[in-house]
This record gives sequence, structure tokens and C-alpha cells, in this order.
Amino acid sequence: MSSRVCQTCGGSDIDVDQARGSAVCTGCGSVLEDNIIVSEVQFVEGSGGVSSTVGQFVSADGPAKAPLLGSGFHVSVGKESRAQTLQSGKRQIQQLGSQLQLNQHCLDTAFNFFKLVVSKHLTRGRKMEHVIAACLYLVCRTEGTPHMLLDLSDLLQVNVYILGKTFLLLARELCINAPAIDPCLYIPRFAHMLEFGVKTHEVSMTALRLVQRMKRDWMHMGRRPSGLCGAALLVAARMHKFRRSVKDVIGVVKVCQTTLRKRLTEFEDTPTSQLTIDEFMRVDLEQECDPPSFTAGQHKAKMQQLEQELARKLDEVEGEISCYKDEIESELEKSRPKLSGIYAAYSKEISQSTPAPEDEDVLSTTSEPEEMDSEDADLQAATQHLTQDFLCQVIQEEEGHGKKTDEGFCEQEAEPETEGPRAFLPPLSVILGKLPSAASLGLQTFSESEASTKPSDEPPESGELNLEGIDDQEIEKYILNDKEVRVKTELWMKQNEEYLKEQKEKEDRINKEKEEGTYKEKKKKYKKREQIEASTVGEAIEKMLERKKISSKINYDVLKDLNGSTGGSSPLTPDLPSGTPTQKRLSRRRRKTSETKPDFSTSTIIMRKRFRCLISATPKKKALPQAEHATLPAAEAKEPEAELSPDAIPDLGSASTVAPPPIEEEEDEVEEECVSALQLVGDYGCEEEEVF
Amino acid sequence: MDSSSDEALDIIITNVVATFRTRCHLNLRTIALEGTNVIYKPEVGKVLMKLRKPTITASIWSSGKIICTGATSEDDAKLGARRLARCLQKLGFKVKFSAFRVVNVLAVCSMPFAIHLIDFTKNNRPIASYEPELHPAVTYRIKNLKATFQVFSTGSLTVTGPNVQAVATAVEQVYPLLFEVRKPLCK
Repeated sequence: MSSRVCQTCGGSDIDVDQARGSAVCTGCGSVLEDNIIVSEVQFVEGSGGVSSTVGQFVSADGPAKAPLLGSGFHVSVGKESRAQTLQSGKRQIQQLGSQLQLNQHCLDTAFNFFKLVVSKHLTRGRKMEHVIAACLYLVCRTEGTPHMLLDLSDLLQVNVYILGKTFLLLARELCINAPAIDPCLYIPRFAHMLEFGVKTHEVSMTALRLVQRMKRDWMHMGRRPSGLCGAALLVAARMHKFRRSVKDVIGVVKVCQTTLRKRLTEFEDTPTSQLTIDEFMRVDLEQECDPPSFTAGQHKAKMQQLEQELARKLDEVEGEISCYKDEIESELEKSRPKLSGIYAAYSKEISQSTPAPEDEDVLSTTSEPEEMDSEDADLQAATQHLTQDFLCQVIQEEEGHGKKTDEGFCEQEAEPETEGPRAFLPPLSVILGKLPSAASLGLQTFSESEASTKPSDEPPESGELNLEGIDDQEIEKYILNDKEVRVKTELWMKQNEEYLKEQKEKEDRINKEKEEGTYKEKKKKYKKREQIEASTVGEAIEKMLERKKISSKINYDVLKDLNGSTGGSSPLTPDLPSGTPTQKRLSRRRRKTSETKPDFSTSTIIMRKRFRCLISATPKKKALPQAEHATLPAAEAKEPEAELSPDAIPDLGSASTVAPPPIEEEEDEVEEECVSALQLVGDYGCEEEEVF
Repeated sequence: MDSSSDEALDIIITNVVATFRTRCHLNLRTIALEGTNVIYKPEVGKVLMKLRKPTITASIWSSGKIICTGATSEDDAKLGARRLARCLQKLGFKVKFSAFRVVNVLAVCSMPFAIHLIDFTKNNRPIASYEPELHPAVTYRIKNLKATFQVFSTGSLTVTGPNVQAVATAVEQVYPLLFEVRKPLCK
């Protein structure tokens, strides 16, 4: 305004008088502007000498209240939706925030975050609740208030990890680096809830000191801060002679008993726990500890090492004991009383079978016979030898002690043979390692491993399968033979009867429909957009609308009335003589909207909405009139296009990937249409804003 | 490879995921009925087949796409995949082995020192993210290598990346960052 040039004399000295609302050139005196719209604040004196401002404050968030008269409802179909979102968001934030007792400043900040989120379209596909909660938590973190994500999830009854996910995403998108949580923040809050009365402050201080000590001892790394706080408060309470039980504390702090006990144990392991109360308050130990999980890991490693050593030592001891056992046995043999009756028969049988190599048969028949059908005799002999020795000696040692006195020794011998492998496997497996497991479980695996070949080199890249290094025999094992197939088929059929029935019904249904000719093949949805192929305009619109989701925020009833009131097919049969071109434009519009790129988003939004209005308002409309008009197309279309192109080309310079001429024509149509549509419909006042 | 440390760091690969295509339609029912170690999931439309050697679990779809998980090296994954294809061939399908691609590699690594997670996060915002309320480890993502780290306070880390080479490079990259926030162990 200030650097305007006078048209008459070319002078740039222009005097703008706000009071009169006029702009006058001081050189030649010509009035450049009359009735300038003034945007100053004016004061009016009211009764009693009170001066007040004229006018209202309008919120920057859009028309929140009282839409303008008449055309008000359609003030901006798109903006209204955004405004509504923000409004409801604000309301929810206020609600949730007041439950958390956040002050107004925090709530305003949260609302600002929310506005950012909405403008970045991050609310799409997410529940509003989650987004609101995440915004609030973001504020809590940046302000350092003692609110946990758990509190929010409690209020909303939502899984805390889901809220956490949303929160992390928002923090990343908004580039907000929230400072790490400090357990010290929570202490005053929890102390207050534990009701220490007058001494709350002192207990808090002690608890704070404890937490700081824990931090130095690396106990807080990777743990929830509330657990640490709970432990610290418990100890502090006891130190000040308050009787707070574990249950009280966990009710306030929201961790479980096990966690609290674990923290206490870990604290116990630190050297600080050895100090007396007074010493603790005065002295701070220099030494820092390792993180507790690290020490636990090291402890485990040490235990494993010890076990291995033990196992080795046991083996040695075994050897010694076996010698003694042999001697004792021989002695006992000599001094054994002669048995008669049944026992004699038993003893003869067993004494026959024991030394023989058919021992394995006894073992196998008594233990797991099915695994003994392997081919490798050497392995069997070896295992038999080993089991013979160890079984007798070690099992006798374990189980024989009690039985020695009761029953005869012959029975003892029988028992290890029979029960040995079975009852014996658990303890032996530890001591002996792999041998008994191989003997009793899977000698098959041994044979397989022997038969297999080593992995091959990289085969060349081709469609053919390179069979190097693949053992066919082994692969054969993966395939069942006929009999097994039959059995499995039966089982499977029985198991999956329901599903099979369903499938059959579905097939029958499809066949029936095919016969009737009403079968609609459901094509799979591909991400790439397909061209809309429609014979009539109406079909094309329908198909397009099927694809694009209709907004839920448009009030179709009003639109219906609008269209209905102006008579049947008003938008399509306008007063202007360009009725038919409009029809063609419509058809072209549709094509355009299906191919359009996001560059033309605003214009397409207009189009889309108009279409929806049209479609929803005119369901009863026959496709005939449209079809007729649509057939007019090509010939007449050329004419308006020709006139339009020179105008519109300079406006819309950007071309999309489709061939420039057609697109330009279409674009021209768009621009052209916007203007004519306004005239046509009359009350789409919003379009003015949107076009620009 | 670790020039910055005295001893070499052991990067142990625990899982390799690979996919390939058989370029022919597979009848899942046949596979389910005639193969050993198979689980048929008709609701999802796939068959799970487990091989013993190398230990691989494969998800087989009727379109011929197969995903193999559970291998401990890239070669193992390829061998297992080929074994699987051979098995399917024997069942009567005209399989071809094409488009074999290792999709994901998971490895674990242990540092000889403990790590101060809070300092690490502070130094590496916003690439590193630490939420003790949700997960005990810091998540650190390297965009150009497409590798993700989970760093624990005890010094152990898990890395996931598109292939073994990327994983190794990623560990090298992150080592100096971890080194500066280390805590010397007292025991």
C-alpha cells in the first residue's frame, strides 16, 4: 500500500487517511481509493464512562462458532472438518488433562502439539484417544512432571505398549527430543501418596539420596524408574520408623511384588547396604558397582564352568569307584547264600544273559525296542559295553543301597538291567553326556549323519535347481510312503472337517451363481490404480466413488435438499447454454480425477466433493440423460477446448506424466469449470477460497 | 576387522531369513499329506515345513513363494532352501529355484564393557531412542545400512540387517560410539 504509484501523475507519495478511509495522491490530488477497509481497534464509551472495544475476537483456529448467514454452512467444507477435529481434540485434551491435574500451560502446549500432529496428517489411521494421550505424555516429559505413561494407560484402559508406540512415533515425527526419565522426579509424588504426614519431606530426602546411590550403582539402567522409587521409598520409610508394607508401596508405585523384591535384593548386594543409617546419610562411597544383570550373567557363566568341572571330576571318581565295586562284587559272589525255588531260576537266567553280547537284546526289549533297528553294529557294541559297566555300577550305587538288605542280590542285578535305561536316563545324561542318549534315543540320527554329505559350493544363478550336496536318500525320508499317506489323509480329513465343509459350500454357491449368471468375480485389489472403464458417465462416477472413500463429515441431507430444491437435475442442466459442454466436462472430470496427480489436489478435492454431492443427491436419476450427454463428447469438446487452451496454458504450467496436451485441456476445463460451477450452483461460496 | 579393540569381537549370527520362488503353483494339500514334519494352516493358506539339517523352518505358499527362517549362516540358508526345493520336486511339482534372496540377518554381539545408556542416548539424538518404561534397551538405527541395534546396559547388543556384510559394517560403525560411553567393569 505504501509503495503504490499514482496512475495519473506517476508519483509515489500517497497519503492514506485511516479515519476517512481514503488514499489520495499528494502530487496531483487524485483519489486512488475510497472506503478502505480499516483493521484497527476502535473504542466506544459505554455507560458510566467505561470504554470498551468494538468488535469480536475471532479465533485463529477457524470458524468455531456461528457460521455466517445463509451460505454459512458451506463456508468451507474442507476447513470445517479440520476445525472440528481440532475442536474435539482440544476438548479431549482438557478432559484428560484435568484428570491428570495438569495446569493450563501444559494443556495449551499439548494442544499445540496436537495441531502439529494434525497438520502432518499423523492422526490418520490412529485412534484419537491414543494420539491425545501421546501428546499429553509428550508435554509431561518436556515439562518434567511426574506423570508416567502407565497413568495415562490406566485412565484410558489401553495397553501401555500401544500408547508407547504412538508416543515414540509422534516424538520422532515432531522431532521432539524428550529428556530421559529421572526416577528422582517421581519420589515426591509417591511419598505424598504414601501419607507420611509431617515427615514427608524428610522421607523424600532420604529416598532421593537412596535413588542417587542406586543410580551410581547402575541399578537404574534399563529398568522402569517406578520400581527403583518403590524400593527406595520402602527403605526410607523403614529408616524413619514408618511401617509401610510391600503391598502399600506397590499399590502406589504400580509395579509387582517380584520386581520390588528383586530391586531390594540388588540393593542388598551393593556395598552401600552395609552402612548404618547415620553413615549412609553422611558418607558417600566412591566405588561404583556393575549393573546387576551383568553380575547375574557373570554368575551364571561361573556356575556353568563349575558344573563342567564337577562333571569331569565325577568321571574320575567314577573310575575309582568302579574298581572298588568290582572287588566288592567278587567278594560278595563268593559269600552269597544259595537260593532255592523261583529265585534260582531267575539267577540262572540272568547270569547266563549278563556276560553275553546279547545283552543289548535284553536291554532293548526292556527299554525302547523300536530304536534298535539301526544298521550300525559297531555303535551298538560300544554302547552295550559302556552301559554294561556304568549301568551296573552307578545305578547300584543310587538305588541299590536301600535294596541290598531287603532282597537278594540277584534281583538287584535284574533290576538295573530292566529299569536301568529308563529310570536312569536323567541322572546318567548329566554325568555321562551323550552316550546313553544316543543308545536309547536315536541311533538313526547317527546313521543319517554318516550318510550325509558336506554342504556344497555356491551353485550358479539359474532357474534350475542345483542338486549338488543334496542327498536324495535323506530327502526321501522327508516323504511318507503310501500307507503313511493314507493314514495321514484320514487323520487330516477328520481334523479339518469343518473347514472342508465350508470350502465345499462356498464352491457350490459359486457354481450356482455362475449358472444363474449372477456370479461376480471378486478381483484382488492391486495397489496400482486401474483405469476406470465405464460405458456411461454414471457408471464411471460410481466406480470412482467406490474407490475413493467418501468423507463422513459431509451432510448429505442438506446437499440433497439443495439439489432437489433447484429441480431434479439442476447442476447438470444449468441455465447457461453450455449445458452439453458441462456434461462432457463432467465425463472428462471423472477421467481426470482418476488419473490426476497430487499437484492438482485442491481442484480435485472440489471435484470429488461435488461428485459426491451429485451422486448422493441423485441416486434416483436415470443414467439415460447422462448417457446421452456423454455421447456428445469428442466433437463438441474440441471447440471449447480450443478457446480455453490459450488462456489456461499460461496458468497451469506444470505438466504431469500424461501427455501434456490432453492434460492441459483437462486442466483448462477444471479452471473453466470452477468459475462456471459457481455461477451454476450459486451457493458454493467456499470454492472461491479453495481455488486460490 | 575391529581395529579399535585389542581382541576381536565375536559377532554370532543367530538367524538368517531368506526367500525364494519355485515358479510353479504348489498344491498345499499334497504337501501336507505326503510330507513329514509339516504343519498345514488352511486359515492363513500356508504350510510350515521343518528340516532337520540344517535346522530350517520354511513357510510355503501355494503361489510358490517360500520363506526360510532359522538358518545360522547365509550358506546354510541357501543349502536348506535347495534341500527344500528338492523335497518338493520329489513330491511331484515342477519346481525351479529362482530369486533366492537373503532378507534379514540377526546377530548378537557382546562388548567387554558395560554401557551408560543415558549418555549414549544424549550423544546420539535423535538416531538413538531410549524409553525405559517400554523396553530396557536403546534402539539405534543406521539408515544407510538399514541396520537396527538394540543396545543393553550389560554391553550386549543385537543387530538386524539385510545381510551379513551390512551387519559387520554396522557393528564397526557403532563400536566407537559405545566405547566412549563405556563403564569399566570393576570385577
